[in-house]
Amino acid sequence: MLDTVQEDTMRVLVIEDDLEMASFIEKVLVEAGHQVDMATDGERGLAMARASEFDALVVDRMLPEKDGLTLVKEYREAGGQTPTLFLSALGDVQNRVQGLKAGADDYLSKPFAPSELAARVEALGRRVPTEQQVTVLKAGDLEMNLLTRKVTRAGQKIDLQPREFRLLEYLMRHAGQVVTRTMLLEKVWDYNFDPQTNVIDVHISRLRAKIDKEFEEPLLHTVRGAGYRLQG
Amino acid sequence: MKLALPTFLRTTTFKLALIYSAMFAAFSAALLVYLYYSTVYYIRTESERRMDLEFEQLGNAYYTGGMERLSQSVLERMTRTGSTYFYYLEDASGRKIAGHFGRLPAAPPQSDVVQTVYFTFEQKEPDGTIVERPAAGRIVRLTNNGGALLVAFDTAQQTAIVGRIQRAIFIAAPIGLVLSLLGGILISRGAARRADELARTAEAVMGGELGRRAPVRGSGDEFDRLASRLNAMLDQIEKLVESTRHTGNAIAHDLRSPLSRLRNRLEIALSEPMSKESAEATLGETVEEVDRVLGTFNAILRLARLEAGAEGERVRMDVSGLGEELAELFDPACEEAGLSFKSNISRNMTVLADRDLVGQALSNLLDNAVKYTPEGGAITFSITRGPNNTVDMIVVDSGPGVPEEARERVVQRFQRMDSARTQPGSGLGLALVDSVADMHGGDFILTDAGGPPEAPGLKAILRLPRV
Repeated sequence: MLDTVQEDTMRVLVIEDDLEMASFIEKVLVEAGHQVDMATDGERGLAMARASEFDALVVDRMLPEKDGLTLVKEYREAGGQTPTLFLSALGDVQNRVQGLKAGADDYLSKPFAPSELAARVEALGRRVPTEQQVTVLKAGDLEMNLLTRKVTRAGQKIDLQPREFRLLEYLMRHAGQVVTRTMLLEKVWDYNFDPQTNVIDVHISRLRAKIDKEFEEPLLHTVRGAGYRLQG
Repeated sequence: MKLALPTFLRTTTFKLALIYSAMFAAFSAALLVYLYYSTVYYIRTESERRMDLEFEQLGNAYYTGGMERLSQSVLERMTRTGSTYFYYLEDASGRKIAGHFGRLPAAPPQSDVVQTVYFTFEQKEPDGTIVERPAAGRIVRLTNNGGALLVAFDTAQQTAIVGRIQRAIFIAAPIGLVLSLLGGILISRGAARRADELARTAEAVMGGELGRRAPVRGSGDEFDRLASRLNAMLDQIEKLVESTRHTGNAIAHDLRSPLSRLRNRLEIALSEPMSKESAEATLGETVEEVDRVLGTFNAILRLARLEAGAEGERVRMDVSGLGEELAELFDPACEEAGLSFKSNISRNMTVLADRDLVGQALSNLLDNAVKYTPEGGAITFSITRGPNNTVDMIVVDSGPGVPEEARERVVQRFQRMDSARTQPGSGLGLALVDSVADMHGGDFILTDAGGPPEAPGLKAILRLPRV
């Protein structure tokens, strides 16, 4: 179901006081092929985050001893750079903005779909530090030059609309990972709401037509129940 | 009345009325005293002063011209028109020289120092009767002569005037006091009654009568304003309570079916032997269904939060940008569904709004348009100026439309048109648009789109005030 093929396994620290939720998250991430460490309160969580190098942190907002917001703030102030995802029952925009301002990289509200969590955690692991600016993205024989805005596959030029380009760029930056529809809406269209119909699907199918139709090997896959994955 | 008495005596209004009465009484007293002195006192002193002036003038006449001159002056004054004084002059032996009286009406003067005298004299009325009148005057024994000079005036008139003034004051004062007290009582009773009404309304509502409202008298005073504010608050409370009740029912009702379906599917899957592929497919579908349920759940919560006023942060924004992005987002979906899509978005459509909420609302409208318009139809999305300085965000489709009778109902939660029951969707879409319009101080309007009678199409307008 959540069959993601990982290039590398991530070490994830999950800081969540609700034991049932915590074990559920652990299960989801382990099944996605990652290693999970756990803390059940803010103090311990902060200590563990600072003691070891994790690839991603998953932090619940409401924690005993030290709440999630303070934890992330202090972690960042101390120089911690591990990408962080907030989990919270408070899903409205103000709280999301607050969470991101505190230093988190992403924000997921409960209840959430497990596929969503896995996809977002993996997306966090792919964050490229800003010193290493990439100019060319590659996936299989698909190439995207960020400077010239040209896209080619097996040397053949592909014409894309600006939105299609941005969509493909996001998929390529997360090549090999599952990208959910919500993530696309948020990152490519900058929306925090949810159209009911399959508007995203149609954009994807158009993109797919452009990059996959005339070629033998399909790059853009639909992952049932989760989203999409670009993979060569 | 006996029970009501303590209540209104305790009101702030009565206390204020009492203070007002006291101040009124104090000022009135001061005014009356001033009035008294400036009239009565003035009347008395003025007459005497004038009389003294007369006396002095006569005195001067005597000093400059002796008795002769004096008697001349007296005679002159007596014949002068409009004179209000009485004169009397006699020589040293008591013989009258000139004057109004037959003889000296008062006690003879002792010295050449001016004295004040009071006396009465007899006057013949026109009808023949004789009345006694009081008088006051100045009298002196003339130096070197021994004669006597008297100047006096009738004090009856003066006394009458003074008396009248005094009476007026003594009547006005207590009447004023009583009136102000009565006024205070009446006002405070009125206020007490109004305050009582409001209290009783609140009690009734707390007791469960959610529909009860405070009476508004129409006078526009503070109580009326308070009453209408209270009513507005009660309207909102009623709405919230209804919404909470409704949400509970709706959650139970609308989430039960997909969850039951899920359960059945899983149960069937358990009882049958399945290949790996079909197992995967089933489980995949199950996950999708669960996601849908979660989505509905979130939508319900969001709507509830919106209605409670707990969500959304409004900023100044130009919705044309949002509109263009949404048009771009939906264009391919329309094409896929075999529908033509046109957008017409004006510039500078600035409103005070929450981008996500307006985006969600418009997205819902576009969603519906795509869902309910049959293949071959047309959808237009426009953002233009509306009437009375508003911004209209309009989605027009060529689908079945919504009949007029159903328009009120269709914006309520979980209402699906019968024709739409087979389509996926939670029935919350239009309810959210309505809520968004409400919280932004705007309107949500549904009309026919002008198509043929069997498929008039829907024109949905989200109208927000322009800033």
